[in-house]
Amino acid sequence: MSDQASTKTEKAPWVSPFKRFENFTVLTIFVSFVIIIVLLQLIMTGGTKYPTFISPVNILNIMQQVGVPGIVAVGMTMVMISGGIDLSVGMLASLVSIVTALGISKWHLGVVPSILVGISTAVVLETLMGFIISRVKVEPFIITLGGMITFQGIALLLCNSREVIMNGELNFIKTNLIAGTKDPVTGLNLVIPPYVLVFLLLALLVGLLLKYTKYGRRIYAVGNNSNAAFLAGINVRAMRLSVYALMGLLVGIGSVMLLARINVGIITLGQGLEIDTIAMVVIGGTALKGGKGNVLGTLIGVFFLGSIGNAMNLLRLPSEVQFVAKGLVIIVAVSAGYVSSTFSEFLSRRKGLAAVSGDASKGG
Amino acid sequence: MGEILRLSNVSKTFAGVRALQGITFDLKEGEVHCLCGENGAGKSTLIKVLSGAHQPDIGGEIWFEGRKIDLTPHLALGLGIQTIYQEHIVFDSLSVMENIFMGLEREKGIFLDRKEMRRQTVEVLEYLKSDLRPEMVMGDLGSGQQKIVEIAKGLVFKRKVIILDEPTASFSISEIDNLLEIIKTVKKSGIGIIYISHHLDEVFRVGDRVTVLRDGRNVSHYDIGGLTKSQLIKDMVGRDPSTFYKRESVPIGEVLFEARNLSGNGVRNISFKLHRGEVLGFSGMTGSGRSELMELLFGGARLDSGEVRIGDRPVRHRTPKAAIRNKMCFITEDRQNTGLFIEQTIAQNIVVANMVNTRNFISSPARDLKVAEGFIQKLSIRAKNARVRAMNLSGGNQQKVVLAKWFNTNGDIFIFDEPTRGIDVNSKQEIYQLMVGLLKQGKAIIMVSSDMPEVISMSDRVIVMKGGEMVAEIGKDRISEEHILTHSIGEKAQ
Repeated sequence: MSDQASTKTEKAPWVSPFKRFENFTVLTIFVSFVIIIVLLQLIMTGGTKYPTFISPVNILNIMQQVGVPGIVAVGMTMVMISGGIDLSVGMLASLVSIVTALGISKWHLGVVPSILVGISTAVVLETLMGFIISRVKVEPFIITLGGMITFQGIALLLCNSREVIMNGELNFIKTNLIAGTKDPVTGLNLVIPPYVLVFLLLALLVGLLLKYTKYGRRIYAVGNNSNAAFLAGINVRAMRLSVYALMGLLVGIGSVMLLARINVGIITLGQGLEIDTIAMVVIGGTALKGGKGNVLGTLIGVFFLGSIGNAMNLLRLPSEVQFVAKGLVIIVAVSAGYVSSTFSEFLSRRKGLAAVSGDASKGG
Repeated sequence: MGEILRLSNVSKTFAGVRALQGITFDLKEGEVHCLCGENGAGKSTLIKVLSGAHQPDIGGEIWFEGRKIDLTPHLALGLGIQTIYQEHIVFDSLSVMENIFMGLEREKGIFLDRKEMRRQTVEVLEYLKSDLRPEMVMGDLGSGQQKIVEIAKGLVFKRKVIILDEPTASFSISEIDNLLEIIKTVKKSGIGIIYISHHLDEVFRVGDRVTVLRDGRNVSHYDIGGLTKSQLIKDMVGRDPSTFYKRESVPIGEVLFEARNLSGNGVRNISFKLHRGEVLGFSGMTGSGRSELMELLFGGARLDSGEVRIGDRPVRHRTPKAAIRNKMCFITEDRQNTGLFIEQTIAQNIVVANMVNTRNFISSPARDLKVAEGFIQKLSIRAKNARVRAMNLSGGNQQKVVLAKWFNTNGDIFIFDEPTRGIDVNSKQEIYQLMVGLLKQGKAIIMVSSDMPEVISMSDRVIVMKGGEMVAEIGKDRISEEHILTHSIGEKAQ
């Protein structure tokens, strides 16, 4: 982007980095969090050991934990930028896992067809919800809440409220791609399974889609002001529908990964996934009312939320504390965005006033 | 200069009401053609016909570059007719560049061609001598700058006609100067501009020709050279005063309410006295600060300086609650949103404002119904009973419910903001009678109205506002349409 840089040198007034870079606030908070944990570890060990929180093995460990919610959070970012929300993802993930597990171990469809059936289920159901949301003036919150309960019911009916056990047919998704590599710090085995790479790849693709394509920018337009988008000749209904369809694809892929990790199709697999992913997305700075946000912010939110539990374990704090910490992080991260924007507005207004009175004194 | 657009004999009827009648209008390349007229003269309807939002009645013709066409919004844009509405229809979280290109993006392969879009944006912004940059976020810009972005869009896509509806409504003086300069630049590129404004100064500064509308008809066409403001005003007014409502006169008593040098909420230095039995009219064009002043009086906005006195006692209304306690009532302009709880019943609406004054912790639906039934009788509200929802009433009856709500608080000082907007003729008269009834009880009325006959027939005195300040106070015997209009849009009094 050499052209952008060239004009900035022309006469770009100083803008606070909190305003210029959307993700600066949350990144600052995340980095402070990491520093605090590392310091605590150093204090606890008396500075004799390398802090395990930032050891390669632990970082890869966090990546494995957040891979699946991460994929769904990337989709949720898209949905929320378009002005929607999706509460059904958790139960949809359970449903897809159960369908895929049934396909493999009960209906004997074969591994690949079962995966395809699972993913298509997610796409079809999300598209259906997207259709209703784009045609009916009912809040997506309500429609997807209905979807969530419905999917739970379907899933329980399919598996007779029991778990569907598999024999590791999906293990290829969690094989270690760098088997044998040791962590130079701790000496433990490093693990990168394929699904972590899939998560990073999908995040990159959706990030590019949102930032650099016509389709992506139109999602922002629809979420920001759907009336203006309509008047600009954008097919608002089609946009809303397609965003949910894409969400279905991502949830489908994520659910298969989830099933591979746990190896059992069970209703509890996706429980709470919607809450976690929405939390990740809002921590990352996406506005609940739409029109604002990006995948980079969501990635920060994903790693932030994912590393809290991990850090609590390393500090040997009881797991109950995790909830308190997670909750506080959400509140702090989201209000910090508001506080910093109000503050920079206040600063710029003061500057503006100074400029105006300066003009006036010059004129009079 | 070739002709771009021509309307001949265009009429538009809504449910039997003639909004436009036999309009002729034409626009040439590279000219600014101004449309003038009072509120309700048909300017907005004409714009909607030009942008394709309304189709004219049978017999009316629209010609574009020598071809007769049937305009639709889509076709209008396709032909290059861009309407820039008074309220901003923009994406405030997106950049200037994205606002310009949204819906008509340039692409290179599957990705956006940001470089090209940026180049075109910079080119147009430079041509307009604007200091805006493509990457600025729309929401950070002032309304003057947002308007320039919308005009820039017209240039990027080589539009042939740009319609500007009250573009300077919320502008500062420097923003107005800036916009007028930009319009002169745009005009040079051959674009035809239709400019609608209440501000005659602006019309004389940028206009090449003027068309005056009154009550949906063409009154006159002028070239700007040789035209005077007084001629223009004379054309805009000209109703027969003998057709106006005749109000019963009521003796005027002592001072009940006084404003001393009020400033805040966009208005400055407002002083007036209001007497018992008096209607004090506030006139002025949209954006002159009338509604803002009323909000200030009622405690809906912060008072920066000045003093309000009720009787001989200074008061300070920090919230509407305090104002209601001091026996003030505010019949707002927007019945649907601020006047009524539209989905609730008549009874619930009527008792709501008086809750400030009652000490009843538990509300009694039976008592509320009884109170409401009383008002339904007294104000002859046409509804089956007090359980009918406000949304199911006609405009006139809704307004009566709003009145009943305030009568129920037993207030003394009534602020009416547009008391009869969107109300049929019969209900209008009833509302007027109810207002006179208040005066007879020794109460006082502050009335904001854009309906000129209403101002003239109801007011004992009229204060004219312009740009947030009082520009004139007109006594009963001197109230006339021409007089008011001269102050509200023209220059200083003679």
